[in-house]
Amino acid sequence: MADARPPALVELRGIVKVFPGALANAGIDLAIYPGEVLALLGENGAGKTTLMNILSGLYRPDEGEIRVVGERVVLRSPRDAIERGIGMVHQHFRLVERFTVAENVLLGSHTPRFRLSPGQVLEHVRALGARHEIALDPRAYVGDLSVGERQRVEILKVLYRGSRVLIFDEPTAVLAPPEVDSLFAGIRRIVGEGRAVVFISHKLDEVLRIATRIVVLRHGRVAGAMPRAEATPGKLATLMVGREIPSRPRVAAARGSLRLRVEDVAARGERGYLAVDGASLTVHSGEIVGVAGVAGNGQAELAETIAGIRAPLRGRVWLDEHDVTTRPAREIRERGLAFIPEDRHRQGLVPAFNVVENAILTCYARAPISRGGLLRRRPARTHARRLVEAFQIQASLETPVRALSGGNQQRLLVAREAAQEPKVLVALHPTAGLDVASTEAVHRILLELRARGVAVLLVSEHLDEVLALSDRVLVMYRGRIVHERPASHADVDEIGLYMTGVGEPP
Amino acid sequence: MTRQGIRGFVLIALLAAMLVPGDTLAQAKPKVAFVYTGPIGDAGWTFQHDIARRHLEQALGAETTYIESMPETADAVRVMEQLIQKGYKILFMTSFGYQKLSLEVAKKHPDVFIVGTGPGIGLAPNVKTMYGRIWEPRYLTGLIAGKMTKSNTVGFVAAHPTPGVLPGINAFALGVWAANPQAKVKVVWTRTWYDPPKEKAAAKALIDAGADVIAQHQDSPAPVQAAAEAGKYAIGNNSNMAPFGPKAFLTGPVYDWRPLDEANVKAILAGQFKSEDYYGGLSDGLLSLAPLHEAIPDSVKKMVEQARQDIISGKLQVFKGPIKDQEGTLRVPAGEVMSLKDITSTRWLVHGIDGPSPTAQ
Amino acid sequence: MADATLAIERPAPRPRIPEWVEAILVRLAGIVAALLVCAVLLLLQGYHPLLAYADMAVGAFGSRFAIEQTLLKAIPLMLTTLGVTLTFTAGLWNIGAEGQLTIGALAAAWLALNHPSLPALVLLPGMVLLGLLGGALWALVPAVPRAYVGMNEVISTLLLNYVALLVVDYLVFGSWADPTAFNFPYSPAFSDTARLPMLFGDVHLGLVFALAATVVVAAALGHTPWGYEIRTSGASPGAARYAGMPVTRNILVAMAASGALSGLAGMAEVSGMIFRVQQGLSPGYGYSAIIIAWLAKLNPWAAVPVAILFAGLLNGGFALQTSKVPAAITYMIQAAILFLVVAGESLLARVRRARAAAAQKAALGGAR
Repeated sequence: MADARPPALVELRGIVKVFPGALANAGIDLAIYPGEVLALLGENGAGKTTLMNILSGLYRPDEGEIRVVGERVVLRSPRDAIERGIGMVHQHFRLVERFTVAENVLLGSHTPRFRLSPGQVLEHVRALGARHEIALDPRAYVGDLSVGERQRVEILKVLYRGSRVLIFDEPTAVLAPPEVDSLFAGIRRIVGEGRAVVFISHKLDEVLRIATRIVVLRHGRVAGAMPRAEATPGKLATLMVGREIPSRPRVAAARGSLRLRVEDVAARGERGYLAVDGASLTVHSGEIVGVAGVAGNGQAELAETIAGIRAPLRGRVWLDEHDVTTRPAREIRERGLAFIPEDRHRQGLVPAFNVVENAILTCYARAPISRGGLLRRRPARTHARRLVEAFQIQASLETPVRALSGGNQQRLLVAREAAQEPKVLVALHPTAGLDVASTEAVHRILLELRARGVAVLLVSEHLDEVLALSDRVLVMYRGRIVHERPASHADVDEIGLYMTGVGEPP
Repeated sequence: MTRQGIRGFVLIALLAAMLVPGDTLAQAKPKVAFVYTGPIGDAGWTFQHDIARRHLEQALGAETTYIESMPETADAVRVMEQLIQKGYKILFMTSFGYQKLSLEVAKKHPDVFIVGTGPGIGLAPNVKTMYGRIWEPRYLTGLIAGKMTKSNTVGFVAAHPTPGVLPGINAFALGVWAANPQAKVKVVWTRTWYDPPKEKAAAKALIDAGADVIAQHQDSPAPVQAAAEAGKYAIGNNSNMAPFGPKAFLTGPVYDWRPLDEANVKAILAGQFKSEDYYGGLSDGLLSLAPLHEAIPDSVKKMVEQARQDIISGKLQVFKGPIKDQEGTLRVPAGEVMSLKDITSTRWLVHGIDGPSPTAQ
Repeated sequence: MADATLAIERPAPRPRIPEWVEAILVRLAGIVAALLVCAVLLLLQGYHPLLAYADMAVGAFGSRFAIEQTLLKAIPLMLTTLGVTLTFTAGLWNIGAEGQLTIGALAAAWLALNHPSLPALVLLPGMVLLGLLGGALWALVPAVPRAYVGMNEVISTLLLNYVALLVVDYLVFGSWADPTAFNFPYSPAFSDTARLPMLFGDVHLGLVFALAATVVVAAALGHTPWGYEIRTSGASPGAARYAGMPVTRNILVAMAASGALSGLAGMAEVSGMIFRVQQGLSPGYGYSAIIIAWLAKLNPWAAVPVAILFAGLLNGGFALQTSKVPAAITYMIQAAILFLVVAGESLLARVRRARAAAAQKAALGGAR
């Protein structure tokens, strides 16, 4: 069987890539063969995008090698990769709206050694489109095209440069269903010519439709690989989210009174789309409610709406019987809500500030730190020192937070929020990108808060984490809570299906 | 010079500048400093002053220096003080705006002589001002423009509506009409002294409006260049601007500060400095016309020469009533002649000039 | 596992020399580099570079007069620098200090010109108040659309500078023109009661304003909750929003305070030195302030010495011209010094970033 295979177009061997605070790729082997649609499946942060950025020349691996048709190569830039026949169709298009299709296709490519006349360019691009059955008017301005058509321009661009391996980074994220169909038809034609397509996605159903082979990444490693024929949704979901559920001594939930109630909330995301679309949930004192789901399904927007940072379009949020919908964030905090945001670099912490200044970010306005119109140094330092000691944060008080490791940064953030003596804690991906020890530390803090009667809403894309910590498990998909189970009755396969949209009732 | 030598020299220079008071320096070689509002450039107001500065070096063996582009603000006081510290006891301040600042400095340094630019707004024993009756040559250029226009439209690119500019425009218009009663005089304000692109654009606008002779009160030759490019005639300002458009340049008023500056320095050295507001013009050679374009007919040349002599002799008065302003108010009654003081504080344009009035600015 | 964890937590190795020493050294290196570059330029033009530099130094600090003049020039520089420091710290790119200075000067001058006979004890505080108010209001014009609809303040503040200059033109050519100045663009001179008292020599009370403002701004930024909010907004707008800080209100307050400081600079200029309104009230102090604020790393205390050195650089440039070095070359030297100091600054930032990344990578690499 293996002998019958044609030689690989591209081989990645032992790829390692380290980012400050995170090990993105921990030794990945991957081969790409002509004529296949290789789906790269995994949660956000599993290392897919990093791996593909290495393959397309954007990053250089810290270890490992890349072979193109057997020859070892060093890809210093995207241009290098393009010259080796590797092209990326980016998720966010890199097109010039004021240029025509033909101009965009030619942009940045230096294949025509001689100057092409405008007529020749048009003919070139028209012929290329015809050959690949990509319907596009080369004279049309990109600014006038639909999203699906723009994607076709990106594909033409890559084809024009003679790529033999085309990488599609979440190509369906921006498309409407009929456009997805035509994209898939296009992909099939492309691989029919002996090229290979790498299809990056976390949508199980799409992967099952288009892929001929599936590789699942998890925590920067290959968690499993199989031909399409052997794949089932359950198998893939398990590989993606992991099966091993860490056991912990479960104290029976001392579930108390209702602390947080969210009813039919809708909110827009950063780019104006409807990110949260009618989400409802409750959290009681002394319980951890886990929200599982693939990142980008409205979890962050929901959490921010609860915290008063994002204005809801509709719906209500109650905190301890108080309607706090559209109240200012500070008032919601004063009423006992603590919030661990998703992005510690841009929201939760101020990287340029030192540990003391970060320790007071959410309590600077209160006594004893602010008194008599002054910000008092000594109580601030005392507060910071208490956090550092109680939560074993490895840092001196004067260190700028940007110089701390990711783990210590997150410990500081979580410690600060935990120290607010909150009634409700909303924790958004609190362990994303952390090493094992820091993850454990954050988990301990969450469980301690639960034991003290805090109502914890834990949003995480790591299903194992959600299952390990939560008393109840919710699944969020496309802005809604689509599934709810007590943790004791949770079924990994079932939740995995809901997370990837397969389990959604029609 | 060896390295050590240089080091020693610098040290000595530093010490000297700090310790040695300026007035111990020898008086044998007069040290004269000029302060300019703009860059020297290739033509214009400052350029003419710099010619006089170089003349002082040659004629009197003076040691001179100059400061370019000096704003008429407190920074000018600083520079004057620095110059005085360096032993420059004669300062030529070549713009009106320095006057009040000069008075402050003069009060502090009675041993320093300052020759400022009029019209004078105050004197001190060691301060005098000089000013040119620019309206005299402007009248003559008006005569030429009136004769040379074929479209019967003459344009004037004007800087700011100040009394330094307004009498000149008025005299120019009166000259035009003396030569050609049918001609129209159009004025455009640039509100800049030196901004070549803007001044060029203003000249082009006048040409588009039908003007075929472009006069100017600007410090840049841009209007001359604009006229040359359009194949029209131009009248320059301050210096001989013929090089910027030899075919277009009819003539223009030219300042020659050399005799006056030389006389001033000599008087100071001789202890005969005279504190006064001095007005020069055609009579003393401070102002004259640049060489006339060869296309100007002899009859016109003769007429201009006659007018020049009549102005010098006093037979011809440029501002002789009746003169009405743009609104029709009688400014100079029939038979009367404007006084110097009235001329230098003019805030109106003569009736018939086509352009925004200065008070509408 | 435990060992690996420890390796990750090991803090980055400390640089051998303290950061602030490094910062000063880099700036000095920038100045030295600029002087070397310009020395070549001067030699090519036939000037003796060392003599020229000696001239500059003497002109800036070489005599009592020079020191007084440099301090005098530092007053508006300090005040406008404090102003832009406030907004830059808040992440607001207020390029409008020049215009705010101008309007502050006009507001103060309005009182001086219309009520010249008031006693100094009434007139001067009134002028201070109007200067502060004028600058603050002028800064609020771009601040309001910035705060409520997110209009880009870089462009709006910059454009308002030109508007302010036109307001001066309008007044000095029009209703404020001095009838005795032949319609030259001047207002009449202020009465004696509208002039700030001198501290020593030519240095007026404005120096006290500037130093007091330094203390106030430093205290406000460093020791009040408001200052903490301002610093947070600048360092991380997301964090400010997350922490529930009143972002909109802070934009308005920071801009108004910044404008008020520049307005005070304008008041001090007209009341302490110019004594009238005229064109060219400020030879670009509001723009120099931006450079000074950066060189001082937005530290109000550092702004004082940097503003004085900068004033010395400007005055030294005039001194250089008195040695017949053309103005253009003087400006080139000044620009080269600033350019290379700023370049050194960026270089240092890059080196530090790279150093931090390397340290972190080393720590992680050890963990693997």
